[in-house]
Amino acid sequence: MSQNESDFEPRRYAVRHRTSYAYGDPVIRCYERGFLSLRPTTTQQVVASELMVDPAPAIVTERIDWLGNPSHYVEVQEPHTSLTVTKEAVVDVAWPRVDLDALDRWTVAGAVAQVDAEADAWERSAFRLPSAVVGAHPEVSAYARRFVGDDEGLGTALHRLRTGIHRDFEFRSGATTVTTTLPQLLEIGAGVCQDFAHLALGALRSVGLPARYVSGYIETSPPAGQERLEGADASHAWVSVLTPGGAWVDLDPTNDHFCDSRYIVTAWGRDYRDVSPLKGLIYTEDDQPTTSTMRVAVDVRRGG
Amino acid sequence: MTAHAQATPASMRTAGAANSAGGRIVTEAIESMGLVGLLTARAEMRRFVQDDGIRHGQPGPEVVPEPDCADESGGPRWRVQGRNWVIDPLPVVLAAADWRALEAGLIQRARLLDHVLRDIYGARRLIAAGLLPPEVVLAHPGFVPQAVAAEASLALPQTSVDLGRDSAGRWRIIADRSSTAIGAGYAMATRRITTRVMAPLHRQVAPARMRGFFHSTMNALLAAAPAGVSNPRAVLLSAGTSSATAYEHGFLSTLLGLPLVEAEDLVMKEGRLWIQAGSRREAVDVVYRRIESLHADPLETASRAGTGVPGLIEATQRGRLSVVNPIGAEVIDNPALHAYLPAIAREVLGEELLLDSVLTHWCGEPAARAHVLANLGSFIVKPVSHDTDSTTYCGWLLSEDRRAELRARIEAEPWAWVAQEPLPMAEEPMVTPTGVEARRFVLRTFAVSIDDRVEVLPGGLGRVAPDAGTWIVPVMGSGIAKDVWVLPDDSAPRTGGLVSLRESLEPAPGGSLALTPRVAENLFWVGRYAERADGTTRLLRVVDDLVEDHASRSGTPGHATALAMRDLLATLTRIPVEEDESPQEHLRRIVRESTLRGSVGYAVARLVGAAQEVRDVLSHDLWHVLSRLERTIAATAPVDEQLQPQLYDLLESTLAAAGVFAESMIRDETWGWIDAGIRLERAQHTASLLRTALALERSALVEAQVAEAALEAAESIITHRRRTVSGDGPISPVDSAVAILLLDPANPRSVAFQLGRLAEDLDLVGVDRTARVVREVAAMLGAVNPASLDEVSRDEVRDLVDRVAYDLRGISRDVRRDSFIRVGRPTLLAPEPSPGVVA
Repeated sequence: MSQNESDFEPRRYAVRHRTSYAYGDPVIRCYERGFLSLRPTTTQQVVASELMVDPAPAIVTERIDWLGNPSHYVEVQEPHTSLTVTKEAVVDVAWPRVDLDALDRWTVAGAVAQVDAEADAWERSAFRLPSAVVGAHPEVSAYARRFVGDDEGLGTALHRLRTGIHRDFEFRSGATTVTTTLPQLLEIGAGVCQDFAHLALGALRSVGLPARYVSGYIETSPPAGQERLEGADASHAWVSVLTPGGAWVDLDPTNDHFCDSRYIVTAWGRDYRDVSPLKGLIYTEDDQPTTSTMRVAVDVRRGG
Repeated sequence: MTAHAQATPASMRTAGAANSAGGRIVTEAIESMGLVGLLTARAEMRRFVQDDGIRHGQPGPEVVPEPDCADESGGPRWRVQGRNWVIDPLPVVLAAADWRALEAGLIQRARLLDHVLRDIYGARRLIAAGLLPPEVVLAHPGFVPQAVAAEASLALPQTSVDLGRDSAGRWRIIADRSSTAIGAGYAMATRRITTRVMAPLHRQVAPARMRGFFHSTMNALLAAAPAGVSNPRAVLLSAGTSSATAYEHGFLSTLLGLPLVEAEDLVMKEGRLWIQAGSRREAVDVVYRRIESLHADPLETASRAGTGVPGLIEATQRGRLSVVNPIGAEVIDNPALHAYLPAIAREVLGEELLLDSVLTHWCGEPAARAHVLANLGSFIVKPVSHDTDSTTYCGWLLSEDRRAELRARIEAEPWAWVAQEPLPMAEEPMVTPTGVEARRFVLRTFAVSIDDRVEVLPGGLGRVAPDAGTWIVPVMGSGIAKDVWVLPDDSAPRTGGLVSLRESLEPAPGGSLALTPRVAENLFWVGRYAERADGTTRLLRVVDDLVEDHASRSGTPGHATALAMRDLLATLTRIPVEEDESPQEHLRRIVRESTLRGSVGYAVARLVGAAQEVRDVLSHDLWHVLSRLERTIAATAPVDEQLQPQLYDLLESTLAAAGVFAESMIRDETWGWIDAGIRLERAQHTASLLRTALALERSALVEAQVAEAALEAAESIITHRRRTVSGDGPISPVDSAVAILLLDPANPRSVAFQLGRLAEDLDLVGVDRTARVVREVAAMLGAVNPASLDEVSRDEVRDLVDRVAYDLRGISRDVRRDSFIRVGRPTLLAPEPSPGVVA
């Protein structure tokens, strides 16, 4: 995906994210935890936000989690065979351009040392320690070293890592599952944005840089000459790395560029597990597990 | 005392505490009792442990009930529980002054850890100030970030530590065990048995009592209730028999007067927790958590569904529920904290630590790591959490290769490891078959906090290593327990502890709590299996008698009857005679083989399993009976010995169980479910006995003998003979058996009698609809005139019995459908993925 100067212009988006579950047997109760609200950040201002649940929920509560993300807790207490959770939001977005030359003032090793010295210890550790999905693997360190040398300029290194992952991996749904580990991903050579983000996290953490998983959306354009299809967008994920001076730099290995004003943030965490858009637990009458299918429809529209 | 094995460096051995006041008491006891006396005490303890069913350790695999074809099987799932608790008869006796000093240190530590936990899940000032490295929290599996709450703070009402005494006799902390503070219940169980077996010594010493501590624990739980709750309801949440400490959960719930619940008894609704029992529900304000944090709220920690309750964390954060210790408390047990607590104590309490830890290096600190790696051979190395690795490594015992392996693991994840200097630990005497020997001793202590006050259980749970060479005293597993006595303190009269301060916070009366489907079902099966063991044993007794008398006299009517009864037994138990199997061997299999569904052994095993699930609501006396039943089954006589004495023993136990149910239980729902199980089982058993007996087409003489055998098996032979002599009732023994065993409402073994009782039981437990059905069947039987049996055909009699058996199966199904349905089956859904977009 190309990046133009205009992609950094401020703009307004309307986002709709609908998750639907269909069950083989009636579900008598369900509990959901959602990270669907947009997070207020320095690059975006949330103008409006609403969460709708069908069937009518017994309770919906909202709270801010330990990393500052807004999240919802939902209970449905009536029997149902399908559940729909819809988030609608309006957001104003404006991202600055990343100054690679400025980042190159530090070598990677120098940046690590300075982040160590100045950054908040808790935040630095939370995003640098191995996490549930992003373990510390020698294979990942070796992969990182192909692009990120200690003596390299930080800006150049980040650019090379981003481009390297984009070049080495094919975007292919179904190539990976939730249980695929990073070493397995390196073997497979294909995956989706979530996988690429996890690999980038592993690489950045392996050289000592704190990095977080960012969950959100990106505006897409329909292929030339085609109509925009309803619900054809998807939730997206990329990474953000802590640099000297306290600035977080967001990079998207899937689309091979640093983030611009087409990127909308919902939440960030140590990895996907901390902030998956929706997770749930259902109760059924029978002693047998029921079948469930999930459908997700996302629309990101300019204006609104 | 024997020498230490070479595994322990000789310089690290110490003389023990023989010179202290407490040590002298133990030494005198050893001298006065002698080895024979001590070994007798040891054996006696083992028997008491078995009688009380005190077990510990990883349970066996889950036994799943077989598909329920004719309602003869079924029942809840269960597991065989760990191994018997082992207690050494010699208590450890601590002088009052020694204990006072230790107690002060434990109180200080409780206050300190409470502060640290609140800070970790709250403002994180200790981390910001550099007093606590963030990795100690973030890299510990016990840290549950979802429990971080800016507004509410997470108190730590319970603390627990493991201590050893160094060579100078000073107590040193080895590990914090506060997360779920396992062991206070085992300490109490150990005390009760030690007190019984060592009664004269106990009277003479009169150590400080433990009971008050549990009152305080209860008060601490109620005091932890969310603000504004006037009459809080607390429950003890257990993982049931899948937990290694299931015994303690049941015992604690009895000690504390708390309902013992499992996740399936609970429902989260509108952000509040409820106990759900049919259409009734009661709000829960405090959960006394005996399950791991990781599994407490499957929605948040995405571990596994079923052990915990979704929404638990949300409810606590909204101030609608308190969990004790709070979810996430496991992080406070990180041994890396030992290295930082002295400085933290100075900072937040303005005090020096009164109790030192064993010198502990956290490998996450570069300088400490370098020191540890350079001297790996002289440290005890352990992971910060046993979730990642359950082993503790003694550096000096490792080969070069293993040491290099450990070094590599430490370098890869330094924050995950600590190294401790081996403590030259004082030893305590332990009774072994060859004499009294010295063993390394570890003390686990327990404290509870209410508001700003801390109360410590006087004494605690003592443990010694099973072998002289063992350096690490096993945490709970294969260690040997010792009671710990604190000598009375003459200078300071003992107050009532904290009990009197909290009189207003009386627990809600346990009786008002509705029985959940899980508890009801287990009680029902306790009744059924107890009765099944009894009924099968009675039948075995009759058949064994016939076999012994007539087996060798083929061609006689007695021989034919013996064969007929053996077939009847095989049919009823569904344990057919195998090819070339002697009658004697067949009967013994029906007693012993607990894998065979119709055997007495099977019924006893299931009875124990069901009882373990509801230990908290059952009479203590029942455990002695169950233990005796298990022992009798295990000691089944070989073929060349008589079976009758054993069958007699079994009946004595089943009668004792019946006595416990009848004489030691309040007539409430708990009893109602057990009795319903007994009545339904006996009705079905008797109906099946009659059906099978009537199905036989034999000579009149054999038929009559079979009928009499059936009457005997149903304990009604005397009635039959009396009536025959007086000309009262049907003339034919077969018809007489039907009259007495099916129709007679005055015979406590008859089906009609069981139906009457069952209807009353179902009224009591509130299953009105089925109670009506039971009364209809009873009315049908009541309408049959016993005198008319002589006049109707055998087929009509069979039809009547078949009809009753059919109705009983329907009743059993109805009871299960209406009363044992759970809150539903939980399934975790895979989290929604973020596939992303190539724009």
